[in-house]
Amino acid sequence: MKRALAFLLLATTVVAACSSGNNAATSTPTASATASATATPKPIQVGLVTDVGGLNDKSFNQAANTGRLNAEKDFGLKTSVIESKKQEDYVPNLTTFAQQNYDLVIAVGFLMQNAAWKVAKQFPNVKFAIIDGAPADDAGAAQNLPNVANLFFKEQEAGYLVGVIAATMAKNKVGKATHNTLCSMGGIPIPPVDHYMAGFQDAIKTVDPSATILIGYSNDFVDQQKGKEVGLNHISKNCDILFQVAGGSGLGYIAAAKEKGVYAIGVDVDQIDVAPGTVITSAMKRVDKAVYDTSSSVKSGSFKAGDNFFSATNDGIAYGKLDPIVPADAKAAADKALADIKSGAIKPKTDLTVKP
Amino acid sequence: MASNTQATPTGPATAPSVRQPTAQWARGPAVPIASVVFALAIGAVLVLLSGHDPISAYADLFRGAFGSPYDITETLIQTIPLVLAGLSVAVAFRTGLFNIGAESQLLIGAVAAGAVGARFADLPGFLLFPMVLAAGIGAGAAWAAIAGYLKAARGVNEVITTIMQNYIVVFVMHWLLQNGPMTAPNALGTPASSPIGAGAVLPIIIPNELVPLTRLHAGIFLAIGAVVVFWFLLWRTPLGYELRAVGLGARAAAQAGIDPRTHTVMAMAIAGGFAGLAGMIQVTGVFHRVFDGFSAGYGFDAIAVALLGKNSPIGIVLAALLFGAFARGGSIMQANAGVSSQLVSVIEAIVLFVIAAELIVRLLSARRGRKPVEAIA
Repeated sequence: MKRALAFLLLATTVVAACSSGNNAATSTPTASATASATATPKPIQVGLVTDVGGLNDKSFNQAANTGRLNAEKDFGLKTSVIESKKQEDYVPNLTTFAQQNYDLVIAVGFLMQNAAWKVAKQFPNVKFAIIDGAPADDAGAAQNLPNVANLFFKEQEAGYLVGVIAATMAKNKVGKATHNTLCSMGGIPIPPVDHYMAGFQDAIKTVDPSATILIGYSNDFVDQQKGKEVGLNHISKNCDILFQVAGGSGLGYIAAAKEKGVYAIGVDVDQIDVAPGTVITSAMKRVDKAVYDTSSSVKSGSFKAGDNFFSATNDGIAYGKLDPIVPADAKAAADKALADIKSGAIKPKTDLTVKP
Repeated sequence: MASNTQATPTGPATAPSVRQPTAQWARGPAVPIASVVFALAIGAVLVLLSGHDPISAYADLFRGAFGSPYDITETLIQTIPLVLAGLSVAVAFRTGLFNIGAESQLLIGAVAAGAVGARFADLPGFLLFPMVLAAGIGAGAAWAAIAGYLKAARGVNEVITTIMQNYIVVFVMHWLLQNGPMTAPNALGTPASSPIGAGAVLPIIIPNELVPLTRLHAGIFLAIGAVVVFWFLLWRTPLGYELRAVGLGARAAAQAGIDPRTHTVMAMAIAGGFAGLAGMIQVTGVFHRVFDGFSAGYGFDAIAVALLGKNSPIGIVLAALLFGAFARGGSIMQANAGVSSQLVSVIEAIVLFVIAAELIVRLLSARRGRKPVEAIA
């Protein structure tokens, strides 16, 4: 047993020594090759690491990959993607790109905050970006690093836009929206969720102060059944338009709206296809835009570590496709609100007016 | 493919022996090797059809798994839980049982290890580590013994019970970690427990100067130890002899005075212990806390590992290494060659398919030829 262990250690050491020797040997010709080919500068390399949702999640990962492909096309970058299959893959996948001297490594989603912190600390010369998150140490505390961009979104602005559409429809009693009552449901009361709903409420109060507003939480981001229960409860209290801010659990909220024949609003990505005829629009974070712009910033040398905000001003938030039921005046009101947010005339609230 | 099978030396065609695992392995590797080659060939066609170069894809796959010291250590990290869960499935197979529940035994071992490690985080390592180790192995063993007991006392098929047990643990973990007693207060929306105490953490075994950033932890020694225990237990102890006798024929074993029922419970408990150790190692070596749903199916891959490894110690290590290399190399292949890492899942599935087909053929021909039916694989 002991001898076996000794052999194993020896073998590992020998292999390690051989391989690092190989690396040193091969790196020299490569270096000279690149030196001789200085006429064509080395293309900027961007690596994207998805979370366990994978590339076809119809949400953040997919949007981030779209941004990557657009950036590759428009800026002549060399880009790659790795899908993480399990949580323990986050660190090695980020490390893989960093070790290959990629210029920018993008981690999709706050689930990777700790992994990104670990890896970015080890590779101070590689730039990193985290979608919807900031580096977090092992205790879970946020710790900004000089080579990491934290890509955040002004959710309240997206919430405001869909709030204008919903409130305008409710005020004019369009279609099945007859009670002038608007509701929203969050997953867990965390800042990004509450920002969406605060902007939504702010818009409703601005359009029609007499409208009724209800709010609830499913206390879950996955369980559809919990979302559906909150939805049915809201509908029983005369809600006509339901705004979900609860990820997978929110799909149950939309399902309740569909079952009872009222309207719903999607979140994060364009969810018009989730339930056509029920979903009237979506409050969108443009994750693709964040990836695209951050890749561009590395190429142009304007990369900014720390908090970066994506908002109406830089097209980082938007409202999604509209159902035909949405009247022209509601769309016009949303477009005007968008212009006012861009100009600074409107600053949507980040604190909830109506609380549970 | 047939030529491949024949080209591989198959060794002397000895009668099945319950005494010599090495002889069994020497007779055995033809089919596993052929199945892997066959699966890689099909995979190459798929890569070609998707418009990529299969040679460069496989080169990237290999380089991703073994191309640098860091890659090798990452491959080994993937291999460790597969070895242990593979042993779990193999112990049951050797006793004539299908343990489809290695996944839940692994998870419950992880939960127990994480709970003890976090609850008594302040204890020194020489106390805490044995406690965490015992919690992981014990939880897995006790959990699997339930399925063994139901089979022995009530005749409930262990395939059904172990599958159902998987669901129970998955949902109990949702409860524990999403909004329950183990949820860490500052998990930032990630369902996870509080970190385990420093005394329970498995140390990194290769210095950072030698392989920068490596995460290879001392769990590899526990895994090697477990392989030795597996071999010694099954082929060098009376209990192991009895377990294998039950696996070869329960009625014959009963005639020889071996009670198949107690051995069914024991085999499941041992199987669960191996899987629980896998979960404990993942918690103490890789994560240092428990995440909701962190395993990503090691317990299921382990069934393929055990089959491919023909339930022999060396075979399981090699098969686990292959699957570990696929898991690690697949990511790099995707990054460099642009081939989806899902390809490795396809290859793994084909391997399993070929082995299962061969197994059925062999069982049928054995029955027809009235040759003694071997233990499964």
